[in-house]
Amino acid sequence: MESHLHPEGSFDVDFHPVPTGREEIWRFTPLKRLRGLHTDADLSARTVGAEIDAPDGVVIEQVGQDSPVRGSSGFIPTDRIAARVWHQAGVTWSIGIPAGAELDRPVLITLTGKDNSVASATHAVITAGAHSRATVVLRFEGTATLADNVEIVVGDGAQLTVVSIDDWEDDAVHVGHRHTSVGRDATFKHVDVSFGGDLVRHDTTAEFAGPGGSVEMLGLYFADAGQHIEHRLFVDHTAPNTKSHVTYKGALQGEGAHTVWVGNVLIRKVAEGIETYEENRNLVLTDGCQADSVPNLEIETGEIVGAGHASATGRFDDEQLFYLRSRGVEENEARRLVVHGFFNDLIRKIGVPEIEASLVETVEAELAKNVLKDV
Amino acid sequence: MGYERACAIADVREDEAHAVVLGDMEVAVARNGDEFFAIQNLCSHAAVELSEGEVEDCQIECWLHGSRFDLRTGKPTSFPATEPVALFPVEVRGDDVYVDVTETINGVHPS
Repeated sequence: MESHLHPEGSFDVDFHPVPTGREEIWRFTPLKRLRGLHTDADLSARTVGAEIDAPDGVVIEQVGQDSPVRGSSGFIPTDRIAARVWHQAGVTWSIGIPAGAELDRPVLITLTGKDNSVASATHAVITAGAHSRATVVLRFEGTATLADNVEIVVGDGAQLTVVSIDDWEDDAVHVGHRHTSVGRDATFKHVDVSFGGDLVRHDTTAEFAGPGGSVEMLGLYFADAGQHIEHRLFVDHTAPNTKSHVTYKGALQGEGAHTVWVGNVLIRKVAEGIETYEENRNLVLTDGCQADSVPNLEIETGEIVGAGHASATGRFDDEQLFYLRSRGVEENEARRLVVHGFFNDLIRKIGVPEIEASLVETVEAELAKNVLKDV
Repeated sequence: MGYERACAIADVREDEAHAVVLGDMEVAVARNGDEFFAIQNLCSHAAVELSEGEVEDCQIECWLHGSRFDLRTGKPTSFPATEPVALFPVEVRGDDVYVDVTETINGVHPS
């Protein structure tokens, strides 16, 4: 691996020692709450069921361990959990969008967990054929102890949006790895929404299979008391004239709410003419929360259009609240409006109307738990 | 649940805490002479085990970043930690140390 911030990848589980918590990639994660996913917990449970609702033309099948579709995104596990899932995933789903197809509605995949006392592992590969246009929505519900790998292959000139929604019950543990290969002149949008779960950690990575590709990664998370939500992003600019734009926004409320965002972009020597920007914003709504935010950039060529990153973590902006109050808006309503403004700015970029409406409602429901209840 | 036997007096060294697990709670049992203390075995700063650090002058030191916590109050006496760690009531019965992890004596909610 060229990046200095990521361990070398390997399919061999033993290549990745059991983490102690001191490693760079594990230092924010409460390992004791992972229920052994990172050590040797049995991953053979089959308690996460999948329901798939897809428009005609989408090819959905379960494939075996030896299928060439596995690994087709160039995914190589860079930590022990991903390597364990690679070998132990009970099911590998292959979701194929044929070349040139234009889907008139999203592919909806609902994964429902029924039991968190045993651990499950799954693998999925989403392949968007050349010049296809599609949206795939993954929704996680119920409760589970789940480790999963999702590979995404965006063909040349294809336009793919993948929305992942972690809407778990409060006692779920989910560690997910998502890796995308973006084809020549392809457009890929990844939307990662995390609300539920006791511990949710997503490693989301992307690389480019040809020049001219574009990646947009949007994230929205809301951590309640005791919840740990962690996102690690890595865009590897492996081809020239590519673009990446990462925006994650989160809110925290309640004692022990903890969010982690670690972003990284590698601009390789070959990646001339690229453009990248990543940003993270955290809104701390109550005392007792912790938001960690670490933006990184590794630059190996200066022959680029632009590269930047930004991070800000803060509480309610008193000036915004004061302005609204001075216009006769009640304190409570003013707070609600500020949070809505904070998230809506991101929600409107998702581009999937069904999802946008339900997210606005979810944000409202989350706010009712804390921000709106005590005034 | 009340008091449970944590360990023997002889298990607790003067200069280092002894780690025990009582129910779901990980506790570090430390001593200052003949006085015994039970503190949650988790630094309030970077979530590492306090039992691996040194004990001196009625304080336990976190080995990773060097924050020290007063064993009588659970409060940090040096940075980087700023939040106290939960302390549990201790009773010495004969040669054994008993700890009650169902309540804290410094009002800190165990994390």
